[in-house]
Amino acid sequence: MRLIALLFAVLVAARAADPVNVYMYSEYIDPSIPGEFEKKTGIPVRISTYESQEEMVAKLMAGGSGQYDLLVASDVVVTQLVTLKLVAKLDQSKIPNAKNLWDRFRDPLYDKGNVYTLPYFWGPLGIIYRKDKLPAGKVVSWKLIFDESASIGPFVLMDEMRSMMGCAAIALGKDVNSKDKDEIKTIGQTVLKAKQRKDCLGFDGGVGGKNKVLAGQAALAVVYNGDAVKAMSESADVAFAVPVEGAPCAVDNLLVTSKAKNPAGAHAFIDFLMDAKIGARNADFTQYATPYQASLALVKAENRANAAIYPSDEAMKKLVSLLDLGSDTNRIYDEVWTAVKSR
Amino acid sequence: MTEAQGQGPGAQGQGPGAQGQGPGAPTIDAGELTTFARLRRRGAVLIGGGALWLLLFLAVPLALVFAAAFCETAGYGAVKLSLTWDNLGRVAGWGVFGWEADNLRILLRTVVVAGLTTVLCLALALPMAFWIARQPQSRRGLLLALLMIPFCTNLVIRIAGWTVLLSNQSWLAGLAQQLGAIGPEDGLYPGTFAVLLGMVTTFLPFAVLPLYAVVERLDWTLVEAARDLHSGPWRTARHAILPQIMPGLVAAGILTFVPALGMFLVTDRLGSGKFMLVGNLIQQQVGRDTPYLSALCLTLVAATLIGIAILRWRAREVPVA
Amino acid sequence: MKTLSVLGWSGIGLLYVPLLAVAVASFNAGRHGVAWKGFTVDWYVKLLGNQVVAEATVNTLLVAGISTIVATVLGTLLALGLARTPWPRPVRGGLDVLIHLPVVTPDIILAAALVVAFAVLRLLGPLAEVWFAPGLLQIIIGHITFEIPFVALIVMARLTMIGRSQEEAARDLYASTWRLYTRVLLPQLAPAIAAGALLAFSLSLDDFIIAFFTCGPGTETLPVLIYGQMARGVSPELHALSTLIFVATVLLVVGAARLQGSRAAAS
Repeated sequence: MRLIALLFAVLVAARAADPVNVYMYSEYIDPSIPGEFEKKTGIPVRISTYESQEEMVAKLMAGGSGQYDLLVASDVVVTQLVTLKLVAKLDQSKIPNAKNLWDRFRDPLYDKGNVYTLPYFWGPLGIIYRKDKLPAGKVVSWKLIFDESASIGPFVLMDEMRSMMGCAAIALGKDVNSKDKDEIKTIGQTVLKAKQRKDCLGFDGGVGGKNKVLAGQAALAVVYNGDAVKAMSESADVAFAVPVEGAPCAVDNLLVTSKAKNPAGAHAFIDFLMDAKIGARNADFTQYATPYQASLALVKAENRANAAIYPSDEAMKKLVSLLDLGSDTNRIYDEVWTAVKSR
Repeated sequence: MTEAQGQGPGAQGQGPGAQGQGPGAPTIDAGELTTFARLRRRGAVLIGGGALWLLLFLAVPLALVFAAAFCETAGYGAVKLSLTWDNLGRVAGWGVFGWEADNLRILLRTVVVAGLTTVLCLALALPMAFWIARQPQSRRGLLLALLMIPFCTNLVIRIAGWTVLLSNQSWLAGLAQQLGAIGPEDGLYPGTFAVLLGMVTTFLPFAVLPLYAVVERLDWTLVEAARDLHSGPWRTARHAILPQIMPGLVAAGILTFVPALGMFLVTDRLGSGKFMLVGNLIQQQVGRDTPYLSALCLTLVAATLIGIAILRWRAREVPVA
Repeated sequence: MKTLSVLGWSGIGLLYVPLLAVAVASFNAGRHGVAWKGFTVDWYVKLLGNQVVAEATVNTLLVAGISTIVATVLGTLLALGLARTPWPRPVRGGLDVLIHLPVVTPDIILAAALVVAFAVLRLLGPLAEVWFAPGLLQIIIGHITFEIPFVALIVMARLTMIGRSQEEAARDLYASTWRLYTRVLLPQLAPAIAAGALLAFSLSLDDFIIAFFTCGPGTETLPVLIYGQMARGVSPELHALSTLIFVATVLLVVGAARLQGSRAAAS
């Protein structure tokens, strides 16, 4: 009987106020922030997590966009989300903190005029590795992953289509946004060759790859910079670098879904996240780079100075954005990626 | 047996005169004077809920999937209502690069892995069934409970256990490394060995339980008779035991083979994207490309039905003692 | 007999080795990986205060409980209606296919079909959009669907076994249909119904794939939660949670066996 009472208590508690359902990468927010938002506004926040952009889009298409109110989505999938009518236009009047945005992140190519998106964090891909496997001072190159003779131990590939293919394209000296069928196939074959090697541990999301390196099960993994920098603060055995050839760089955005049950709450939470102080705290926790000018000044000095989080202008020149290439090209990437996974 | 006296029209599905008379004609069913029409009305009330449920949430969804298999995929995976054979073509291997063998390879691998899993499970389950059946009554319940516990403990947990045991930091992998079976830094997963181990341990309880049910009721006098007639152990097994346990073997085979064909979890975790089966292909397409997903489902259902048909047909081939 | 014994125990051993490995790993102090870093119970302490885990536990039990009750009722009635009605051949054939369909369909197909069907249902209107959004209702519907046939098949086997002589005797004593079903059939079917319900419950607990595809935010079941943790490689919490579930299962099975044992002793 007491168990039933407990069941009810939990159920009732869950129904108390309409929560904001957020869908984002795992380990991508300071866990104290949702609670603080609830204390301030009375609106609870429920975070659900995904490990890759494909997983997120698939979940929305399979179950409808009404499951979530607020999405974190990378620049490369924004056009797709808009075309599929999964997201709604933002009501800028409810997000006064949008003024905090850093000018270079305003009006991005994928969303002219910030109609649908406001940035959340940004960062490049790179390689996290165990220091004992790679002599200090040695250059970190994509060869560590794609060239068998340069191998330093078991490695994990990133389980995200365009990100992983982008890394391979850069390793080959090709365009990460190639629309050429045969070139895409060549890029895919490079990933495939790496996957088929004995020392490949398969595909994982960034968090999974990072944790395998921390555990010592893998010597290196392809991950986004923030996850890696966070890992470095946990353990002195690992290090991170953006390979010398350059890397894909993503801007992750905040979007409100088209069938959101609580759009007002979603807007309020976006505004809260873009607050200068909250933005800085969140950046300090996740170790990702903030796109908010006002937060930049408040971020811990050591993080602001960390080139792994905020790359130098020189390094920035080698970072490239992944673009949406239209549904037909997307289909080619899809098919090549499926082949990579299945062979 | 009491059954023989109690046989009414309902038990058989057709009583005396089921064909000859109309539904309104009086009949006797288990001592009740009634009509077929009344019996069927009562039957309809009884099965109504369950049948409607299965129709609504099983038959209709499956029909939708089959219909979707012939729809077109519009931009970014949206479904377009139209008639096309493209999706079945894609399952067979035709894509933007012309024909490629990938999908056929996956299909073949799926059938081989499921078949191998079934054979290994039966090979291990059969002695286990005999062993349990030979234990004293009190012990049997305990052993069956021991079989049920891992089955009720979710598969996800058992796979998590294998990833602990097979990772390159475990003592088991250390042993294999010492023996030179694997490289000095390698783990025992991901790979074929890990996948097969995961598959066999997943389905072992499914295979043991139906086999135990037939072995427990085995008529040993037939075996004695065979021995008396000087038949060797092989002939005894073939002609005195096999026909008796055949229904159990078929049931165990189906209960192993069918879910093995659709397995996604074991290959996903213990194969880490390096060992793909149809189940993984399907999982990847959920929410991405519904028409292609549907065509894949169609193929898997066809493979399942063929597999079951073969199992049943093999079962019939064994002559009764 | 000796070889049989060895084979038997090693078969059972194979089933328990991974569970024991998880149990051992759950006491490992190391935050990452399985290399032994000392003994701790911290992960269990952390679990106690974890709201997500509490929620998933409630979801899992709710899904298993509700789906078992509904499937047991519908499955039992289905078995009665099938076994005790003179259906014309085509109807009987159709019902036979319907009831065997979930048994011979790989569960990933059922899951995918439900995803497609609910997507279509959501097109019906704004109200349908809310009702058929991924969540507990979808998971429960999915579980009931694959549980019904198992309950029905078990009850049907029992119905065939007990025969019809007692029904005949009851009718001879002027029992009404209602009295016949409640006083004569039901008590005899009780063990089969209980076995069916138990199987339905454990099938629900064992499901991952249907819940994985049809859960929404906040309605993940324990297996889905654990799968997510496995994908992220957050080992210690996952191992502690898994061990607790394992222990709970042992208690459940032992409890059920005791119950059955005492009932058998009483009758």
